[in-house]
Amino acid sequence: MTTISDFIPPIIVAQGAFWLMVALTLAGAFIAVTLPKILHNILGLALSMFGVTGIYLFLGSQFVAMMQLLIYVGAICITYIFAIMLSPPQELDQPKKRKTKVIAALIVSVVAFIGMIQMIISVNWGPGTTLTRDWSIKTLGQQLLTRYFLVFELISLLLAIAIIGAIMIAGIGQKRD
Amino acid sequence: MNFLLFLPETFLLLMALIFFCQSLWKSSAALNQGLAFFLSALGVIVCLLNLNSSGELFYKAYRVDLFSQLFKCLISLGLFLVVVLGRKFKGITEGLQPEFFMFLSLSSLGLMLMVSSVELLTIFIAMELSSYSIYVLIPIRNQVGGNQMEAAIKYIIFGAAATGVMLFGMSYVFGVTQSTYLADILQKMPLLIKEPVAVIGLLLVLCGFFFKLAVVPFHFWTPDIYQGGANETVSFVATMPKLAGVALLLRLVSLAGTEAITLVQVLVLLAAVSMTFGNLAALVQKDLKRLLAYSSIAHAGYVLLGILTLNSAGFSAAIFHISAYLLMNLACFLVICAVSREGENVTINDLSGLYRRSPLLAFTLAVGAFALAGIPPTAGFTGKLYLFIAALNQGHLALVIIAAVNTAISIYYYLNIVRSAYGQDPDGLPAVTLSLSNRLLNYGFILAIFLMGTFPAWFIDLARTACKTIIS
Repeated sequence: MTTISDFIPPIIVAQGAFWLMVALTLAGAFIAVTLPKILHNILGLALSMFGVTGIYLFLGSQFVAMMQLLIYVGAICITYIFAIMLSPPQELDQPKKRKTKVIAALIVSVVAFIGMIQMIISVNWGPGTTLTRDWSIKTLGQQLLTRYFLVFELISLLLAIAIIGAIMIAGIGQKRD
Repeated sequence: MNFLLFLPETFLLLMALIFFCQSLWKSSAALNQGLAFFLSALGVIVCLLNLNSSGELFYKAYRVDLFSQLFKCLISLGLFLVVVLGRKFKGITEGLQPEFFMFLSLSSLGLMLMVSSVELLTIFIAMELSSYSIYVLIPIRNQVGGNQMEAAIKYIIFGAAATGVMLFGMSYVFGVTQSTYLADILQKMPLLIKEPVAVIGLLLVLCGFFFKLAVVPFHFWTPDIYQGGANETVSFVATMPKLAGVALLLRLVSLAGTEAITLVQVLVLLAAVSMTFGNLAALVQKDLKRLLAYSSIAHAGYVLLGILTLNSAGFSAAIFHISAYLLMNLACFLVICAVSREGENVTINDLSGLYRRSPLLAFTLAVGAFALAGIPPTAGFTGKLYLFIAALNQGHLALVIIAAVNTAISIYYYLNIVRSAYGQDPDGLPAVTLSLSNRLLNYGFILAIFLMGTFPAWFIDLARTACKTIIS
C-alpha cells in the first residue's frame, strides 16, 4: 500500500498542513473584515475559527480543538446567522473611510504588530508552554472541579444572568414596536 | 471550609433570588422598593459583621482578608445608598423594577467576588458577572425616545473589547509565570518585571480595570452611558465598578514588586492624560450627568496617582479617595434624582435657583461639588492631599504639579454648578419636595463628607492595615 508519506517526508506534510491552517485563519479573518455582505463576513469568521482549530491540534490539545470547532464554528457562527436571518434586512450605506483615519490605524497596527513579534521572540517562555504536564480531559475535569471550582460555579450564574437579561431586553424591544 | 466567610456573597445571592421570585408575578412597586431598602440595609450590616474575618476558600482561589472585606463593606454601602437615593425609581419602568433590583444585587455580587478573588480566571468571571448585569441594567429606562439602547450597546462593545485585551494580557502573564494564581505570580513577577513581555502582559490585564475606572484611553463609553442610562442606574454604574476597579488595580499592581519602572512610567502617563483630558472636556458640558462623566475620568487620573506609588501610603490614599468619591458622587446623583421629575436628564440650567426650591438639596449639591473640586474641609480635599503627598514622597513632582493645575481648572466647572443653584433665580421652576428618607440621606451625605474630610485618620489607618495584606 502506498501512502503519501512514501513520496513526501512526513515532516514536510506536517509543515504543509500547519501553514495551510495558518493561511485559512488569516484568509478567513481577512474575509470577515473586508467583504461588504455580512453573511460573507460570518462565513469568513467560521473559516478563520476552523483554521484556529487546526492550530490547536498542532499544539497537541485535541480537547480544546474539538471545543473550538463545536463552540465557535458550530454554535456561535450559526447563532450569528440566525440573528441576521431573523432581523429585518437593512441595506446600510457604507460609511466613507477617511484617509487620515485609515493611515493612522495602519501605522498603529503595524507598530503594535512589530512590537509584539519582537517581544514574543525575545522572551524565554519557559517549559510551561510545551506539553510537560498531563493535559488529558480527565485532568482538565479534575482541575475544573478542584482548583477552578469557583469559576466553574460562577459561569453557571453568568449564563443565567445572560439568559434572563436577554429575555428581558427582548421584552423591552417588543413593547416599543 | 467555613461558609460564614462567604456570608456577604451568599446574602446578595439570596437578595437576587428574592427579586427573581418577585419578578415572576405582578408585585407592587412600593413593596419591591421597601424590600430593596430593607435587604440592602441588612447587607451592609452583614458585611460590617464580617469585616474582620479572614481565611481562604475554594482551593485558595478566593481570599477573605481585611482588604477584601473593607471593599465589600464599601460596595454594600454603595448599593444601600443607591437604593435609598433612587427611592421611587422614577426613571425605571415600574413593571421591570424587580428585575432592576435583581441585576443591581447580582452586579454587586460580582464586584464583591472580584475584590476577594486571587486567581486570574476567577477575577475575570467575577468581573463579567458584574459587567453583564450592568449591560442589562442600562436599557431599563422609562423614557420613550431616549438613547438608552444605544448607550447599552456602546457599553457592551467597549466592554467586550476591554475584556478581550485583558484576557490577551492574562495569556501572557500565564505564559511567563505558568500560573493563574496571584500567589504564584507574585513570586515570579518581580524577577521578570524587567522583561518587556511581563510588563506588557500585566499592563494589558490592567486595561480591563482601566476600562471600569474610565482611564484615558478607555474612557470613550463614559459620557454616552452616563447620558443614556436612567439617573438611578448611572448612580450605580458611576461609582460601584470603580470601587472594585481600584481594588483590583491595587492587587495586580502590587504583583509587580517595587522595581517596576516601566509600569510606573506608563501609569504616570495615563494619570496625567486622564486628569487633563477629563477636566478640559468637562468645562464645556451642559448636561449634569455628562459633566460628572468627564469629572469621573479626571478622578480616575487622581486615583492612579496613589496606585503608581507602589507603596502602602499611596495605596491607602487611593482607597480613601475612591471611598470619598463614592460619597461625593452619590451626593450629586441624589440631587439629580430628586430634581428630575419624571426620570429625565438634568441640565445645569435645571438647577437654577435650587436654593429657593429646596435649600437642603442645594446645600448637598454644593457640598458634593466642593468635595469633587477638592476644597477643604471636605473629604475630596483630604483625599487629594494624601494622594499628592504619597506621590511626592516617591518623587513624582511633575505629575503632582499637573494634578494641582488640574484641580484649579476643575474648580471652575464645579463652581459653575453651585453658581447655578445659588446665584440664579428659579424662573418658575417648581419647588422640589423631599421625603423623610431623602432628607435624612441629605444630612447623612453632608455629615459624612465633612467628617471624612476633617477626621480622616481612622479610615486611613484602616486602609493602611488593609493594604498590608496585599503588599508583601
